[in-house]
Amino acid sequence: MIRPVLARRERVVPATQAAGFVLGVVVALILGAILLWVSDHSPAEVYERMFDSAFKGTDSLSRTLERATPLALTGLSVAVAGSMGLWNIGAEGQMMAGAIVATGVAMMADGLSGPLLIALMMVSGVVGGMALMIGPALARSHLRVSEIITTLMLVYVAIRVVEWLETGPWKDPESFGFAVIEPVPEQAALPGLFGRANIGMLIALGLLLVFWLAVSRTAWGYELRLAGSSPDTARYAGVSLRRKVLTALLLSGGIAGLAGAVQLTGSAARLESGLSNGYGFAGIIVAALALMRPSGVAVVAFVFGAVQVGGQSIQTLGVSSAIADILQAMILFGALVAVVFFNYRIQWSGPGGGSSIAESGEPDLAGEVA
Amino acid sequence: MASTDADYAVWLRGIEKQFPGVIACAGADLWVRPGTIHALLGENGAGKTTMVSVLSGVYRPDGGEVWVNGQRRFFQSPADAIAAGVGMVYQEFRLVPTLTVAENIVLGAAPGLLRSAEIEERVAELSAAYGMAADPTRPVWQLSMGERQRVEILKALWRNASVLVMDEPTAVLTPGEAAELGLTLKAMAEDGRSIIYISHKLDQVVAFCDEATVLRQGKTVATVDDLDDVDLSSLAEMMVGSSGGGYVQRPPALEAGPEVLALQGISALNDRGLPALADINMTIHSGEIVGIVGVSGNGQKELAEVVTGLRQPSQGRVTFKEQDVTEASPADRYRLGLAYVPEDRIGVGLAPKMSVVDNAVVRSYRSQRRGLMLVMAKCVQFCQDLVERFGVRAGRLHDPVAGLSGGNLQRLLLGRELAEQPAVLVAAQPTRGLDVQGVAAIQSHLADQRADGVGILLISEDLDELLALSDRLLVMFEGRVVAEYGPDVTPRTVIGEAMAGQVRA
Amino acid sequence: MAKKFLLKLFVVVATLALVVAGCGNDDDDAAPEPAPAPATEAPEPEPAATEAPEPEPMATEAPMDDEVVAAFVFVGPVGDAGWTWAHDQGRRFAEEQTGATTLFVENVPEVAEDFRAVVVDFIENEGADVIFGTSFGYMDPMEELAGEYPDVVFEHASGFKMNDTNFGNFFGRMYQPRYLSGMAAGAMTETNQIGYVAAFPIPEVLRGINAFTLGAQRTNPDVEVHVNWTFTWFDPALEGDTASALLEAGADVIAMHQDSTAPGIAAQEAGARWVSYNSDMSAFAPDAYITAPVWNWGPYYARIIEAVGAGTYSPGAYWGGMDDEIVTLAPPADDVPAEVIDEVIEVWDQIVAGTWDVFTGPITDQDGNVVVAEGETMDDGAMLGMGFFVEGVVGSADPS
Repeated sequence: MIRPVLARRERVVPATQAAGFVLGVVVALILGAILLWVSDHSPAEVYERMFDSAFKGTDSLSRTLERATPLALTGLSVAVAGSMGLWNIGAEGQMMAGAIVATGVAMMADGLSGPLLIALMMVSGVVGGMALMIGPALARSHLRVSEIITTLMLVYVAIRVVEWLETGPWKDPESFGFAVIEPVPEQAALPGLFGRANIGMLIALGLLLVFWLAVSRTAWGYELRLAGSSPDTARYAGVSLRRKVLTALLLSGGIAGLAGAVQLTGSAARLESGLSNGYGFAGIIVAALALMRPSGVAVVAFVFGAVQVGGQSIQTLGVSSAIADILQAMILFGALVAVVFFNYRIQWSGPGGGSSIAESGEPDLAGEVA
Repeated sequence: MASTDADYAVWLRGIEKQFPGVIACAGADLWVRPGTIHALLGENGAGKTTMVSVLSGVYRPDGGEVWVNGQRRFFQSPADAIAAGVGMVYQEFRLVPTLTVAENIVLGAAPGLLRSAEIEERVAELSAAYGMAADPTRPVWQLSMGERQRVEILKALWRNASVLVMDEPTAVLTPGEAAELGLTLKAMAEDGRSIIYISHKLDQVVAFCDEATVLRQGKTVATVDDLDDVDLSSLAEMMVGSSGGGYVQRPPALEAGPEVLALQGISALNDRGLPALADINMTIHSGEIVGIVGVSGNGQKELAEVVTGLRQPSQGRVTFKEQDVTEASPADRYRLGLAYVPEDRIGVGLAPKMSVVDNAVVRSYRSQRRGLMLVMAKCVQFCQDLVERFGVRAGRLHDPVAGLSGGNLQRLLLGRELAEQPAVLVAAQPTRGLDVQGVAAIQSHLADQRADGVGILLISEDLDELLALSDRLLVMFEGRVVAEYGPDVTPRTVIGEAMAGQVRA
Repeated sequence: MAKKFLLKLFVVVATLALVVAGCGNDDDDAAPEPAPAPATEAPEPEPAATEAPEPEPMATEAPMDDEVVAAFVFVGPVGDAGWTWAHDQGRRFAEEQTGATTLFVENVPEVAEDFRAVVVDFIENEGADVIFGTSFGYMDPMEELAGEYPDVVFEHASGFKMNDTNFGNFFGRMYQPRYLSGMAAGAMTETNQIGYVAAFPIPEVLRGINAFTLGAQRTNPDVEVHVNWTFTWFDPALEGDTASALLEAGADVIAMHQDSTAPGIAAQEAGARWVSYNSDMSAFAPDAYITAPVWNWGPYYARIIEAVGAGTYSPGAYWGGMDDEIVTLAPPADDVPAEVIDEVIEVWDQIVAGTWDVFTGPITDQDGNVVVAEGETMDDGAMLGMGFFVEGVVGSADPS
C-alpha cells in the first residue's frame, strides 16, 4: 500500500525550527480564537488573561516557573531514555516512587537540619525513581521486553502504593482519621527564589546543563548517542548496548524520581496520590517537542508551564474547563505539528518508496537493541 | 514526432529533478522500445535511480514528460505507475517472509474470491511460462536470493507489467542464477515486454541487454542501439567520460610474511540459530590478501563477524598475532590491530545520522578523551586528517554522514580502519555499489596496504576483483571452505563450479 | 445559547468551505457559489447577542464594592449529578438567595500549584471575597493562602484545618440520611444481601457503611452488607464492575460511596435495586433507584456569603446534620412500602428533633465487641475517627 511516511530532514536550520515552533503556536492561537468566538468568549480578553497570568509580573512568572520545574525534569527524564530510542512512559510513576522514598527518609531523619535533609531527600528521590525503573530496565536490556508497557504499568502500582500508605501505615495520627500522610518537615521545604519559584528550578536547570554537557561533550555521551542512533555501529565500536540501555533507563527513572522529590519539597505539603499531577505524562510531550534534546527541554518546559498556567487562569473568566483544555491541547498540538514538519518531510512510501538517501540502513532502534 | 510516442514502451523526455543541494536529473532522456532489454548505465549519482523512480511514480519530476506505451502519464504514486504497467524489482526485496510465494505475489492484487489452490495454479503457470522454477506453496523465508528475485518478478508480471525495471538484479545471484535470469529476461522481451536493466556489471550488461542509455551527471550522454557493436572498455569510457578508471593492476607477488591471523576449527551459527560456519581453518600472513569468494549467504558474513569479534563461534579458536582472541571483544581486537570494513557500511560501519566527525572517531574516541570529556578539537583534527589522507569529499564535517556519496562513505570508513596501522584488515564487499573511480580508489588502497605488510581478508562478490587482488582465493560453500586456489590463473568456470559446491579433484 | 453556538459554528464552517473552495480551483466556477452564504448568515449572530443577555456577565462587569463575590473551586466537572453537581446546585441557590456574584472553576486538580493558580486569579482579577474549596485535597494550599490573603474568607469542605480569622471548614452528618436510606434498602432486599461499593477505607466511608447497615437492620434484622473497596472516588468502569461482582455474588441491592452512576446502571441491568449518593440520580437508572442520601449545600453557602457581606464571619468547624438540611434524603421510589416510609419519617423527625441519633447503643462491631453500650451515644470525636465495621457488615474495615 502507498502511504505517507515521515522522513527525517537531513539538515535542519536551528532558526527555522524555532520559527516553526512559534508559527505552530500562532496558527493554533488563531484556531483557538475561532473556538473562543464560537463559544461566546472574547478571544482578545481570554488571550490577554492567558498571557498576563503566565508572564506579567514576577508573581505570574514565578507561577509559570513553578510548573516548568517538574516539567523540565520529567521532560529530561523522557529525553534521556529517548536519546537511546527508548520510551519512558512511566515518569509519572517514578515521580511518585521518588516522593515515596523521600517521604520515608524525611520521616526517619526528621531531626536533620534543612539543607542536609533536603539533600538527603533529593538523593532518595533519585533512588526511588531508579528503584521503580530497575524492573523495566532489566527486562528491556536482557529480555527485550518493551519498556513502554512496563514503565506505564508501574505508574498505577506507584499511585496505589501511595493510596495504601495514606490509608494504612503512614496515616497521619493527627489528621482526625482522614487518610493523609503527615506533612514533610518544615525545614525540608525548598528555599524560595521569588514568588512561587524555588530552588527546584535551579536544580532542574543545573541538571539540564549537566546532561547537555554529558551527552554532547563526553565519551559516555558519545557512546550513548552512537548506541541510540545506530546500535550495530555501537556494538562494532565495542559499546555494550545492554549497559547503555540499562544506564539510560535508570538515569531516566532517577531524574523522574528527583522530579517527585522536588515537587514534594517545593510545591506540595505532603505525599499524596495526586502529587505527580500528570507532570510525568506531560514530560513525554515536552521531550517530544524538544526533539529529545536537553536544551530544547528547558524552553519547551517553560512554554508548556505558561500554557498550563494560562489555561487554568482563563477558567476564572468563565471559560469552561473543556474549552480551556481544548485550547491548551491545540497550542501544544500546533507546536508539535510544526516541529514535526520542520524536522521531517512527508514522503510517499509504497512499493516504490523508501528511496531517500538517509534512510538506507537506518536501524529500527526500538527493535534492535539487544 | 507524434507517431514516435507510440513506438516507445517508455519515453522519459527531458526529466529534471532537484533535491536539496543536489541536481539529480538535468534534462535526461530515456527511450525504450517494446520487446527490448535496455541497460541504464552510469556511475553512482549519475541519475539512474532518480530516472526509474520518476518512471515508477516514487518521485514527481520537476520538469519533463513521462510517456508509457504511447500515453503521457502524470504519476502521483507508485500505484499509478503499477496500474499503467510499470513494475519495479528493487535490490532489496520487498517480500513478507512468512507468507508463501503465491501469497506474496497476489498480495494487494488478489483476484476476488479465487481460492488459494487456484491462485497457486495460476502462479505456477506464470512462472513456467518464463522458465522460472518457483514452488508457489513455499514460504518466502525458505527461498534463496535468486528465488526471491523470481518472486519479485512474478509479482510484477501478475500485475501485468509491460515495463519491468530491475535495479542491480544480479548483485545477489550466483553466476548460474544470473545466467538463468538472463534467459528469463530474454523470454519476457520476446513476449513484447520491455526491461530496463540497471547494473554496474558491464559484462552482464553486454551479455543480457540489447540497447543501452548512458547517464552522466544527470544527463543522457550516449545511447547504444545495439550492444553487440561495442566492447566493455568503450562502455566504461562513456560512463566515466575518460578511460583509465578501471581496475588496478595486479600487485606484484611478495614473499609472505609471518602468520598474523589463524582460525582453527571454527564453527558458528547464524542469526536464526542455524549452522553457518563448519570447521573453518585458515591463516592469513602479513602482506597477503586472502580472497573469499562464494555466493552470498554461504557464510562469508558470519566469517567476517567471527574474525572481528561481532559473533561468537560455537567451536574453535581465533588466534591473532599468536594470541588467543576468541573471547576478545570487537573493540579489543581493533586495539590489537584487527580492523574491519563491514559489509553494511551504513548501519554497522557508520552511524548515518551522526556527523562525519562522530563517525570518524568510532574506533578512536577513547583516545580523544581528557578525563571524562571528549576533546572535540582533537576529534575534528583526527577527522580532518582522515579526510585529507583518503581523499574523502565530505562537505561539512559536522553534518550527518548520510549526506556523503557511497564512494566517500567507503573512503571514510576504510580510512578510519586503516588510521592506526592495523596488522590485519577484514574487508567485506568493500567496492560493492561504488562507481568506477571509487572501486579503483578502494582497490589501490588495499593493494598499498598489502605492500605495507597488512594481512587482508577480502570478502567480495566480484570475482574479477578477487582474481586481480588475491594472493590466495578460498571458495566458501555452505559454511565450509571447499577449495583454495593459488595466485596462478584459475579458469573462472572452475571457480564457478566450486562456488556451486562442485569441486574438481 | 445552543442555537447561537450552532449559528456561529455554521458561519465558521461556511467560511472554511469558501476558503477551501477558493484554494482548490481557481478557474472553476464553484468558488463564487458559497460566497453568499456567509454574507447573509454573518449578520445574524449580532441580533442574537442583543436578544440573549449573557448569563454570566462576571468578567465584563466589575463587581460593585458592597457586593460579595464568592468563588467556588470544584474538583470535578459539574455534569448532571454527583458531588460537584451538588455543590454547583448549592452555588446557584446561594446566588439567588443572596444576590452575590458567584464564580466557579471546574476540574481543578488537588495539587497546590493548580489550586493556587485558580484562587489567586479569583482574588486578584475577579475580586473574590470568599473562596469555597470543595475537595479534601485543597486543604494544605488553602491554609497557606488563608495566611497570604487575610482579607479573604476561605471555607473548605470535608477538611479538618482552620484558623481563628478567615479559614473554616464545613461538612455534613451524611451518616444520618445514610441510616434512613439503609432502612429503605433493608426493606427492599429479597436475598437479604446488600452490596456496598465503597471508595476508600477512611472514617467518613466507614461511618456511612455502618449507618447504612444499622438502618437496614432496623427494617430487616437478617440483612448482610457486603463491602467491596474500589480505592477511587470516581471511576465509572471500575465502580460498575465492582457492583456487578457484588450482584453476581448474590446481592440484589447496591449501595455506594462513589460519585458515578455506573453502579446504578449495573444494578438496573441485573434487575436489582440501587441507593445512589451525593445527589438524586434516579434519572440514570429509574428502575433500580430506591432513594439517596444527598447533599444540600445551598443554605450553608448562603449563610456564609451573608456573614461575609455583613462582616460578621467567624471561622468554625461546621458539621451540620439533617436539622440544618445540609444533608437529606432524596424522595424514595414509588414502590417503597408506605409503612417503611412512615417509619423513615418517624426516625427522620427524631434525628431533626435531636432526640435520637444513629450511633446510639447498643452497637457491636464485627467481632461481637460492644462498641457503644446500651443507652450511650457516640461522641463526635469517636465518629470522626471511626475505624471499625458494625456487626452485619461483611468485609474488612482495614483492607490494607
